[in-house]
Amino acid sequence: MQATNKMQMNSASTKKSTINDAFASKFAKSMFLTVLGIAVLMFIGTRMFTHIDLNLYGYMVGTIVFLGGFFYRFIAWGERPPTKIILKKGLKLVFSKRTAKTAVSHLAIYDFIKKRGFYRWMQHVLIGWGCILACLVTFPLVFSWMYFTMDDNGYYTVVVMGMDLLEIKADGIIAWFSYNALNISAIMVIAGVCMALYRRAKNMQARAEQKFIYDLMPLYLLLFISITGLLLTIQNVFLHGWMQPQMSLIHQFSVILTLIYLPFGKLAHIPFRPMSVLARNYREHYGEQNMKACKVCGDHFVSVEQSNDVIHVLGVNHIEFNMEDGFNLAELCLPCRRKYRISRFSGVPTHQVKVKEANQNARG
Amino acid sequence: MVKKRLYLELENCIGCRSCLAACTQCGGHEQRNRNYVYDVNPLVNRQTMPLMCLHCVNPACARSCPAQAIQIHETGAVLSALVEKCIGCQNCTIACPYGIPKFDTEQNLMYKCDLCIDRTKDGIPPMCASVCPSNTLQWLTDEEIEAKQKQFNLDNGKWVTSMPYLEGETNVRVNLPGILQGVTKLF
Ligand code: HEM
Ligand code: SF4
Ligand code: SF4
Repeated sequence: MQATNKMQMNSASTKKSTINDAFASKFAKSMFLTVLGIAVLMFIGTRMFTHIDLNLYGYMVGTIVFLGGFFYRFIAWGERPPTKIILKKGLKLVFSKRTAKTAVSHLAIYDFIKKRGFYRWMQHVLIGWGCILACLVTFPLVFSWMYFTMDDNGYYTVVVMGMDLLEIKADGIIAWFSYNALNISAIMVIAGVCMALYRRAKNMQARAEQKFIYDLMPLYLLLFISITGLLLTIQNVFLHGWMQPQMSLIHQFSVILTLIYLPFGKLAHIPFRPMSVLARNYREHYGEQNMKACKVCGDHFVSVEQSNDVIHVLGVNHIEFNMEDGFNLAELCLPCRRKYRISRFSGVPTHQVKVKEANQNARG
Repeated sequence: MVKKRLYLELENCIGCRSCLAACTQCGGHEQRNRNYVYDVNPLVNRQTMPLMCLHCVNPACARSCPAQAIQIHETGAVLSALVEKCIGCQNCTIACPYGIPKFDTEQNLMYKCDLCIDRTKDGIPPMCASVCPSNTLQWLTDEEIEAKQKQFNLDNGKWVTSMPYLEGETNVRVNLPGILQGVTKLF
């Protein structure tokens, strides 16, 4: 009841002149450096721009527009105090032993989604890996980081970053997978998206909070991309290329639309999920260093570092939970904090009574 | 649609824990309850009180979330973590002044009371208020809450609906009429 909401002033840090001063904003700098980076890689990959596939020009423009949205959205987000702390402290720990293991579990095999249900996991593996596979094939082709040349001997030469990487037989197994990589990924994505749509139609849990623009639109976009992509192959193989140029444009359009939508909707989780690895490192590292003992019961419940960071972040937002009893609420373990609230309601010192909280789980 | 709020008369609680059971049945709750019922003075008497998310106007949980996973609905309800955004840092559990958000380590996901948003966005009371048999949890308009204030006639200035008795302004209103009036409960 005596919570005070004091303003916490951040003393302005003394400014050093850096490369940042050369740009009007972080946005301009990130955009410039990235586009420059892509251009350099293209220069090398295309053997000085001699091998550009201009059919894929639309994707190039789409990517640049996407980068604009991406930096706009993510720079603003990275400036939020809690985000900044995890990014900064997490990046410092990125070379620790833990990183590889956590990254595989969080970003590649999605262990934690399996714990939410096998169906949800399967669905995400199909969508996620389908998209990653497609991107791994498409973008190197778009920027000509990879292309194929053919000699008369029935062998393709795969050229990666301007170097002849390997020779493959034109009717061999590797070649088959290369031609069909995009078809395989399209089928994976279609299957995964159908699973997601089915779940969203049938499952009351999934339906409860869903919104069209946020939850359904990304699924329809992915479906649109995959189906138009597959149609291209069908036209090629069965219809002798009938209407293929038109479909190719529609397909490009669908990809560009999705790229533009990506930083703003649900798909924004893709570029930003690696943060979960940083967060895990942060918790494990500081947890091993020094754990906070609850000011009431003495249980270790969080790292000292995180407790202090949260108090700091709340301070920046003008929220302060310093109690008369001489502690900040972020220094109590969760059961004690709840009991403390009850004690403030009732006037009985509930948190001091040495009885474990009653079972709070309705399912026992 | 008239705006209604969750209104708590804490001391009416009889400890039946219907609200916990009801919470598990709400769409989107995946069979897990997100509220609490505490013994006030367990070695002395049987008084219990429910503890729920109070849906702060300036929610500490959302402010501390690095992933912006906790969204605030236009009704003022502070929603549970978005499943694809929560990165499992647990800042929110440390930030909430009442220890409300729950965390599932295996799923790497925070979940908390969302005021049964698929119900309350259409004016249907949340599950807990729908089932509470003792009128501890009610779903009322602001006028009705004002009428309560008159009914209890608390001229001692101790009408605990929100500030300065809580950590901050909240969308849920809390009251303890009997305890504040010094009236003993009959049941
Ligand atoms: C960086 C690795 C990624 C991680 C860690 C990740 C994580 C997640 C998580 C945790 C969810 C919520 C799943 C649930 O609880 O049911 C989700 C949903 C989703 N993810 Fe990813 N994701 C990743 C990459 C991708 C990629 C590459 C795509 C492809 C476009 C993608 C598309 C989706 C879609 C469409 C959903 C929503 C599914 C639905 O509507 O139910 N994700 N992701
Ligand atoms: S009571 Fe806790 S969980 Fe609920 S809105 Fe406030 S800070 Fe968030
Ligand atoms: S645990 Fe999830 S919801 Fe809570 S602060 Fe971290 S990212 Fe946000």
